[in-house]
Amino acid sequence: MHPIMVIFRKEVRDAVRSRWMVVFALTFGIVALVLSLVQASSDNISVQGFNRTTAALTNLSLLLVPLLAFVIGAGAIAGERERGTWTMLLSQPITVRQLMIGKFAGLVVAIWATIALGFGGAGMVVALVSPITDVGHYVMFSALSAILAAATLSIGMLISVFSDGRLKALSQAMVVWFVLVVLYDLAAVGLALTFSASGRSLLIAVLANPVECVRIFFIMSLEPDVDVLGPLGSYVINEVGRGTAISLIAGVLVLWIVIPLTVAISVARNHDA
Amino acid sequence: MLTVTGVTKRYGKLNAIENVDFSLAAGKVLAVIGPNGAGKTTLIKCLLGLVRFDGTVLVDGIDVGRDGHRARAKIGYLPQNPAFHADLTVAETALFYADLKSVSASRAHDGVTAVGLADHAHKKVGELSGGMRQRLGLAVAMLADPPLLILDEPATGLDMSARLELRRLVAEQRTSNHAVLLSTHWLEDVPYIADDVLALDRGKSVFFGSTKDSVAVTASASQLYIRVDGENTHAVELVKHVAPESVVTVMGDWIIVSCLASEKAKIVEHLVVAAIKVLDIRVEEAVSGQATFTLPTQVDGR
Repeated sequence: MHPIMVIFRKEVRDAVRSRWMVVFALTFGIVALVLSLVQASSDNISVQGFNRTTAALTNLSLLLVPLLAFVIGAGAIAGERERGTWTMLLSQPITVRQLMIGKFAGLVVAIWATIALGFGGAGMVVALVSPITDVGHYVMFSALSAILAAATLSIGMLISVFSDGRLKALSQAMVVWFVLVVLYDLAAVGLALTFSASGRSLLIAVLANPVECVRIFFIMSLEPDVDVLGPLGSYVINEVGRGTAISLIAGVLVLWIVIPLTVAISVARNHDA
Repeated sequence: MLTVTGVTKRYGKLNAIENVDFSLAAGKVLAVIGPNGAGKTTLIKCLLGLVRFDGTVLVDGIDVGRDGHRARAKIGYLPQNPAFHADLTVAETALFYADLKSVSASRAHDGVTAVGLADHAHKKVGELSGGMRQRLGLAVAMLADPPLLILDEPATGLDMSARLELRRLVAEQRTSNHAVLLSTHWLEDVPYIADDVLALDRGKSVFFGSTKDSVAVTASASQLYIRVDGENTHAVELVKHVAPESVVTVMGDWIIVSCLASEKAKIVEHLVVAAIKVLDIRVEEAVSGQATFTLPTQVDGR
């Protein structure tokens, strides 16, 4: 069996056995369900209701998915180093690249499974209450959540290789999560209002943050006039337009997955075990 | 099997290993000795490609610096404190490492049995004692029947019977034409185990050669504590006569003898023959940090 596959299998098995997957799946599911049912009752279970529900779930996903992926990614390497298992693994016939790709693949699949269980379970319950007329948006929401998970896991692993302890890595990941998820949108809008930023600079601001990329991508997949997904998105849609932005954001999201992981591998290679 | 040329490892301005050269042929056992902090573990990490270093390490002709994972396929490594994933069972751990080494599941099972852990196969690694973890580490190191076995302080924490078992295992490897490199600061084991000795001191190679040429290196001092019935005076005189090179001091009831490890039994035997009643004996084996190196061949100070 290829070493990447061996590590991948171990990571998936560890995730299934550990409690984090169940805890996060239940959290995702319960919060999503409550949010969906509240939205459905306020909209009298209309067609637009499901659309709004999906939009609300996206905001929830933009908060929770990066949180999960950052935490898991930050612990991935620093935890192994702290336990001494990193050295033990690297003393085997495996390269740093194979080890890290195997870990990334196993963890991202475990996170996807958690998202699928949580949001998927909630989606099925909502479908029982409300007739599904908007499956496409829900599928889009799930796919974007998966991409966001991969990008933020990749950043989490980059944080992990730079940290010399698991706790330090986790606290650094929390700071990055707060900046990217909570602070960024507000700060960007503030700057835009202060300096009357151009569409181009706002687009760069969006691309510099994978969470914003996903948010804007989803705005474009819904309706441009939906106002529940944040002010930065509205700016970009108005200034740049849908067509130009959509392909650029999709490409940049792929880069957000590939680049942090590649840098993490390079750093780990040059780091003594 | 193993050729090491000009290996240097620096941590900032500190030279942890400085320009070390040696070689190890198949069917031979090399003991790397030196006090704590001499650089034994760092050298082993260089051999495995776990740290970046200057110089060249060839394992069966494969350059560790360039092709580390291929070289490691030929190495079985037992670290001083083997660290495994605590939530895996013994059997799962052996299987996981067997997969990494492309070894069959039955081989993993046999490895666990060979080190006497078959009854603990379903126990989680986190529940194992230190000695059991060491045995699991040995099973993992030997999974792929590697032509080069590297053991870092394998005798640490082992009782005498386990140390004898270790000697047997190393002898078996030699018989199978496998090379073994082991680091130790317990010098007494060296003449029984190794063909060659590499002595390190503060990262520098101070001796490399045959064990036979390095009796002075390996014949270390032991601390022998003896309590006898009655007056110590006669016993002290006798000890000085039997082992004239030894240092004898008296502390309360105890006679403390610093002597060559090989002289311990002779001293006790003479006391018994002289009808001196020996009430108690304790032995502290010297480690290389306490031993005085009197090297037959001094390496040119590198």
